[in-house]
Amino acid sequence: MAKASRPATDAPPERPPASLITRSIEGIGRRVLSGLEDLGRVTHILALALANLFVRPVRVRETLRMMEFVGVQSLPIILLTSAFTGAVFTLQSYRAFAMFGAQAMVGGTVGVALTRELGPTLTGLLVAGRAGSAMAAEIGAMRVSEQIDALDAMAVDPINYLVKPRIVASVLVVPMLTALFDFVGCLGSYAIGVGVLRLSRPEFMVRLRDWVDWDDIWTGLFKALVFGLIIGTVACYKGFYTTGGARGVGLATTSSVVVSSVAILISNFFIAYALP
Amino acid sequence: MIIDPVTGAPAAIRYEGVHKSFGTNHVLRGLDLIVPRGKITAIIGRSGTGKSVTLKHVMGLLRPDRGEIFLGDVNLMQLNPKALRRVRERFGVVFQNAALFDSMDVFDNVAFPLLEHESFSSDVVRAKVTAALAQVGLSAAVHRLPSELSGGMRKRVGLARALIRDPEFLLYDEPTTGLDPILSAAMDELIYETQQARPALTSVIISHDMKAVLAIADKVAFLVDGRVVHEGTPEYFAQSDDALIRQFLAGSLDGPMKV
Repeated sequence: MAKASRPATDAPPERPPASLITRSIEGIGRRVLSGLEDLGRVTHILALALANLFVRPVRVRETLRMMEFVGVQSLPIILLTSAFTGAVFTLQSYRAFAMFGAQAMVGGTVGVALTRELGPTLTGLLVAGRAGSAMAAEIGAMRVSEQIDALDAMAVDPINYLVKPRIVASVLVVPMLTALFDFVGCLGSYAIGVGVLRLSRPEFMVRLRDWVDWDDIWTGLFKALVFGLIIGTVACYKGFYTTGGARGVGLATTSSVVVSSVAILISNFFIAYALP
Repeated sequence: MIIDPVTGAPAAIRYEGVHKSFGTNHVLRGLDLIVPRGKITAIIGRSGTGKSVTLKHVMGLLRPDRGEIFLGDVNLMQLNPKALRRVRERFGVVFQNAALFDSMDVFDNVAFPLLEHESFSSDVVRAKVTAALAQVGLSAAVHRLPSELSGGMRKRVGLARALIRDPEFLLYDEPTTGLDPILSAAMDELIYETQQARPALTSVIISHDMKAVLAIADKVAFLVDGRVVHEGTPEYFAQSDDALIRQFLAGSLDGPMKV
């Protein structure tokens, strides 16, 4: 019995041109797979950093250096932004409440908004833009100039040396900056509310004290802690997996800010939803 | 004990049938190589033939898809990450672009391996760093940042850093690339002197600088398409009539290797 004959060529059979629908589905599939790969790598780098948390050397000096970089060097932008955020929010709230003759509520409203939402979220976004981008750029530059390979070659774990101190510093410092943001924001609100809009000082303070309770403050600080974890992890991840020279460093830096910012905004919703 | 047939010295490193691919790029295709103990082995070959990949495998920075690598009698493939890290402590590496830490001055760069792995007093660290920098002729540059150094100086700092812990193995990844001929000759001289001062040191050099390779190496391995196609003494290469070797040594466009 004769065998079925094959075409007399070794070349693989040509695929028919993909339709628009097929190409679209392939594109979506590629993006999903790429996203899952990114998620896996971020989780992996975070897990390695956590596993290294108490592994010697603990890197106290490097962690303090990063806390100074993330925290102290972010102070001017945090102070400026928080004061003006408190001030502008007071101004807009005053105009809205004035329509109902409820101007006295301004202090409390601004206080709750600052401690629960604006403080942690704006602090997170500012730190992601200033310190997160710099961390991604620094680690990315070290990757493309073989400095991370040099660490490996010298038997120094890059996760322990580079990633752990940055994540720990971000987690510790962002809540501190947030507390400062809340305080200075309230001062800005007080200055405009009492100083410019002539609200009653005792009423402003009473509403602020009565409406803002410890739950609001702890919720905001918890959010800040999560945002710090996001900023440190995403920045280190983007820097650590940088490829492609100077252009790659630029892309990693931009991507670090974008991904951190989006992750902060999304996680903010879920935390707000989960916590009363 | 396995003896290297080219130099007659015992094998320090052995690659046996090593394959490595990156995606669809099959870089190493069954690499077999013996690196003799206490000698300088040069790995030559065109760009992209897997020379740097070969070096990274022996430090455990890359794992082969197939094949085995032995450091003495130890099979690196059977070591866990912690044990591999201990193996790396026996190596010194001079990177192509030196890979110095930008944020540290020369002193801190050279002291870095000591501070990470030893518990010497600051006086001992200072003495060792000073001696290492004197050996590479950079005593005056101790407080300069890498960005303030020339290419040749950076490579010499890289060599001082690689030597600071007195390694058993010293790997050079294109140590003279980017240097002018005079600086290249000075670097070659430094590599040769380093080897002469440390008879037990096993050195591996990746280089395109054929003049230097033939002058300082004890053994030369020629990689083509991820395999060693020729190995021998520098004299063997200098006198060979093989078309591949002649073309590579002459840097000629005419020959079996096409651009």
